[in-house]
Amino acid sequence: MADQQVYLDHNATTPLHPQVKTAMTEAMEVFGNPSSLHQFGRQARKLIEQARNDIAFFINAGTEEIIFVGSGSEANNTVFNFSFCQATHCTAHHQGRMEIITTRIEHPCVLESSKCMCDRGINVDYLDVDRYGKIAIGQLEEKLSDKTVMVSVMMANNEIGTIQDIKAAAAVAHARGAYFHTDAVQAVGKIFVDVKELGVDFLSFSAHKIYGPKGVGALFVKKGVPFCPFIRGGHQERGRRAGTENTLGIIGFAKAIEMRKKEMAEETVRLGKLKEMLREGLLKNIPQVQLNGHPKDCLASTLNVSFAGVEGEAILLYLDLAGIAVSTGSACSSGSLDPSHVLLATGTTPELAHSSIRMSLGRQTTQEDINYVITKMTEIIEKLRGMSTVSLHER
Amino acid sequence: MKKRVLIAMSGGVDSSVAAYLLKESGYEAVGVTMCLGIGDSRDDDGTPRCCGSNAIADARQVCAQLNMAHYVLDFSRELERFVVDDFVAEYSAGRTPNPCIRCNEYLKFGKLLNYAKELRFDFLATGHYAKIDYSQKGYNLCRPKDRKKDQTYFLYRIKKADLAAVLFPLADYTKEEVRRIARQAQLAVAAKPQSQDICFIIGTDYKEFLVNKAGNVPGGDIVTTAGDIVGRHNGIINYTRGQRGGLGIAAKEPLYVIDIDAKNNRVIIGSKKEIPSNFVAVKMFNRLADDFPAKSKAMIRYRHTPAACRIKILDNDKAEAVFDEPQEAVTPGQSIVFYNDDIVLGGGLIETARMRR
Repeated sequence: MADQQVYLDHNATTPLHPQVKTAMTEAMEVFGNPSSLHQFGRQARKLIEQARNDIAFFINAGTEEIIFVGSGSEANNTVFNFSFCQATHCTAHHQGRMEIITTRIEHPCVLESSKCMCDRGINVDYLDVDRYGKIAIGQLEEKLSDKTVMVSVMMANNEIGTIQDIKAAAAVAHARGAYFHTDAVQAVGKIFVDVKELGVDFLSFSAHKIYGPKGVGALFVKKGVPFCPFIRGGHQERGRRAGTENTLGIIGFAKAIEMRKKEMAEETVRLGKLKEMLREGLLKNIPQVQLNGHPKDCLASTLNVSFAGVEGEAILLYLDLAGIAVSTGSACSSGSLDPSHVLLATGTTPELAHSSIRMSLGRQTTQEDINYVITKMTEIIEKLRGMSTVSLHER
Repeated sequence: MKKRVLIAMSGGVDSSVAAYLLKESGYEAVGVTMCLGIGDSRDDDGTPRCCGSNAIADARQVCAQLNMAHYVLDFSRELERFVVDDFVAEYSAGRTPNPCIRCNEYLKFGKLLNYAKELRFDFLATGHYAKIDYSQKGYNLCRPKDRKKDQTYFLYRIKKADLAAVLFPLADYTKEEVRRIARQAQLAVAAKPQSQDICFIIGTDYKEFLVNKAGNVPGGDIVTTAGDIVGRHNGIINYTRGQRGGLGIAAKEPLYVIDIDAKNNRVIIGSKKEIPSNFVAVKMFNRLADDFPAKSKAMIRYRHTPAACRIKILDNDKAEAVFDEPQEAVTPGQSIVFYNDDIVLGGGLIETARMRR
């Protein structure tokens, strides 16, 4: 039905890179349990350790600092779960440090974990962001105290693409003796990430946002930092994450990272230009457009826009029928009408937050795609504004 | 080329089977759920009600089963503005509104139909029990096969010009048959219970909801039809015409609410014999048939047995109806819907009702 198909939802997930597909297809022959001592097990073990090595190298971590998990959400949950062990005999006990500081624009898996910690008697404080989605290091310094056990700040925001100064944030956290975690699910493979340079203690990332398979993520845990497993009952991952390893996923993850290493720099420049085209095209053709996210410190692939007076869900429907895939700034599809907490935190009004569309570009996005999106979006917004649904039925 | 249908899906059995039937008949169907902002509403026993996230997940699951696209559209502001606000305003004015009729008019066959047209769908379909027939004189809204489930009373405000763009796939099925189809097709929602009551009122009864919404409701006098003050009421919002008891007044014969005088903040009570009326003034009349027979039958509330009457259509969307036999509790704010056998001729809102000799 649609003339063209354009996928602009790469922050949700990405298609497999063809080379990842090839690597995984080949790896399907490897069935041994990596924990087994025989040749079948060894074969799988070798591939997993090679993958761990490649992935660790990519973010400048030590091999033993990488724990494979089931997803970015699991990585984040693991970090929050361990932080507040009350058992005094445990190495992860934090000697009365009972406060966490995070931000208002984290992924729900961090925010929900924080809430859960709150229920367990931990004090959680939230950093504000400015209209571009940036935290203020000054506010973090103010909030930090000798009670703070951990600071968690997302590296690149999934909805608006804003990139935080993680290095500075980690430094002030460490100055007060707190650990520092960053959710880098949208960052690793899209921007330069070096855990030593950043100085973080924990860093979460995932394969499927960077053309790898779904169902595999990784958690970087700095050597010497206390840790407590979230999933127990096995010696896998040095006893830090039980469960037979997802060999296929891990191999795909490593291949995806390898491809990112080759393609990332050039790709970032290309996507930056395409995003610029898209932004200029929309601004030129459509009145009353608000750009969300930071103008400079932003993922080259992410453009979040509010179209005043139009509902995001309606735009999504029209775009989908035109073959264009995007996502909205509300969670209406889950039955909740609460607009995006990220946009609200930037001071966007609920009405405008409801009118938001996130477009996230990827390695297959072309200039033709962008032109098509500009044309269709212009038509659709004009049509929807013309419909002005509420006044239609006025008598 | 396949005809394209947008189908409103609540996540319930009826709309799911309607979607299934459309797919079976070869339509290209796309599902849409109206998000009404009611949130995770649940009944006391924990059963998710219409419009919550479970309802949306159910609709999505059925669409996936049927290989249909599914979207959610935000109708929360329209619900508030055209249905809830009116519901409160009508009660505050001493009338008894029917929010389902408003929802059909402004949301389903208003905004949603408009979307369907704008998106160049050939039809909008719903899981209502009603039928659309075509004759030389055009399209008619008609009673469905399942008379017990007949929902035409709630649908009479659809505009005549829009009937050609509406499909009711359940027109020729009974509820039992619909349930059987759902089971046979193994639709995920086959065993779901029926949704009931007013969807936007959660956990409380409607009077509590009204008092919360309307704010401070002043009390006033209860007077007899003869004009004697016999007691106090706690806000007219709590009363409806024909209501018996709950008045806190001792009397030899049972007392009923005969009328609500919003202007003077009074509830007027009397005996049972004072309730019936035969004359009804109708406003916001919506005409669905070109020819109006001199005699027809009318329903003055859902499940009311249609009663014989004469109708006179006036200017400005007004009309008058005179029943052959006086009818019990003809209530301002409710709808009067006229039928000629199976055909819905039209209807309107009851403005006033009284006895006329």
